[in-house]
Formats: sequence, C-alpha cells, structure tokens
Amino acid sequence: MSELPEYKIERIFDAPRELVWRAWTDPALLHRWYGPNVETTIHQFNLKAGGEWHNEMQWGDTRDYSKMAFQEVIEPERIVWHHSSTDADWNIITNPMMPNWPRVLLTTVTFEESDGKTTVRLTQVPLDATEAEITCFAGAMANMDHGWGAGFTILETMFAELQA
Amino acid sequence: MEQIGYMSTAPNLDAVFSALANPTRRAILARLAKGNASVNELAAPFEMSQPAISKHLKVLERAGLIERGVDEQRRPATLKADNMAAAMDWLEQFKVFWGNSFDQLDEVLADLKRAQAQEKKDV
Repeated sequence: MSELPEYKIERIFDAPRELVWRAWTDPALLHRWYGPNVETTIHQFNLKAGGEWHNEMQWGDTRDYSKMAFQEVIEPERIVWHHSSTDADWNIITNPMMPNWPRVLLTTVTFEESDGKTTVRLTQVPLDATEAEITCFAGAMANMDHGWGAGFTILETMFAELQA
Repeated sequence: MEQIGYMSTAPNLDAVFSALANPTRRAILARLAKGNASVNELAAPFEMSQPAISKHLKVLERAGLIERGVDEQRRPATLKADNMAAAMDWLEQFKVFWGNSFDQLDEVLADLKRAQAQEKKDV
C-alpha cells in the first residue's frame, strides 16, 4: 500500500501557543482535559525523545491504559509519539475487541500561533503495521462518515421497529 | 474455528467493521432491520445471484451481525444488534475522543487565561 490511512483533527484554540503548550505538557493540566468525561491519571510523564507518558483512564468499572513513547519534542511547536494500548503494567497489547486495530499509532501534534490564537493539528497513522492492521484502520477511517452513519441508521430502524 | 463462546464475550469488532464496509451488506442489514428475510427475499432487490447473496450473508454471520435459522429450509436471516451496537460504540468513542478532549482543553485554557489576568492585576 503506497499511502497509509490517516486520522486527522485540527482545532484553533483562543489562546497563545505558550499557554496551549503548557496545557499539553504539564501533567497537572493535561490530566484535566485528556480523555472525554473520564477520570484521567498520569502515572509517568517524561517529556523528551525516549521518554514516556503512562496514562490511565477510568469510567465506571472500566480502566483503560495507554502508553505514549515520545519520539520528538520541539518546544513549543511539535510533539511526536508512538501511541499504544497497554495492560496495567504498561506492556503493549492488542485491543481484545479489535485484534486488527494497529498496535502502534504514530501520533504527530503541531502547534502554530497566529494573532494570539493557536492551531493544533493532530494526525495518527499506523506504524510498522501488518496488512490486516492497515486494512482495519483504513476501513475505520473511510467508514467514519458514510459507513458508520449507515450502521447507526440500521440500529435506529431496528429499535424503531422493536418499539412499534 | 468457530469460536462462538469467545464471540459472545468479546465480539471481534474488526470483523464487524469490514463486514459493514461493503454497500451490499449494509443494504442487506438495512433490510433485515425491518424484519427477517430469506435469501430469496434478500436477493430480489439486488442484481445478484443467490450464491452471491449467500456469500455476503456468510460474512455477516461470521461477524456476528446476523443469525440464520437452522431448522427451516429457507433459513431466514435475523439481524443481531449487540455486535453492531458494540462496534458503533467503539467507533463513536474513537471519533469523539480528541474532539471532546479538545472541548475540555478549551475550558482549561480559559481557566489559565483568567489566572494569568488575575496575576497581572495582583502585581
């Protein structure tokens, strides 16, 4: 495959880059926003190439562990890490529900300031992935819009029929 | 090869994802959402042979998205919602993860800006 599937998100924050960088790189701030509606605990955060971020998220009885291995840290404009799901001992694991989900996502975040606002761009691509992992990730990305929309429509139809 | 027990505890979601990636299979599921149907009934709206439809049904069955009747000769297919709901949940989580986190980051940044403004006032 010549081109790897890519997940991309971009957001402009109404704050200078120095502040946005702080919110991303100070664990005391990072844990407050990383992970939607979950309790986030940062067990280790060593921001330098070769350093790691060990992250735990908790919601209900579920605990979700992940490890980010920093590859490149250029203050205040760029952070690159290898993103993986792990067990509670920070060993990389495959997702039990998604055996073909890429084990490592190469994650790149860039910060750009203009007129006191900061544009954050985040991309994720499978790293050293098997053909099956690439296909799985590509499928998820490509289906993000129409495929998943269709899935939801089918579920809705079915629930509507059940309630009728 | 058949891991029914495993399937019921931890659905293989990538099988669900790849099953859903095909428009014919999505159309079959949409039809089944309205009620059970036999291969004949499912093949009718498509310009496809019965064996071709049967092949798609096999993929859907393996992904745990449908069940086939065993006793009757027409083996009607029934939609199974659980795995699809689990797959939708999972994807939704992935899809909203950064977006929702970024909403929270907005709030943290607003706090930081307020704190900075306060510091300047205090000095």
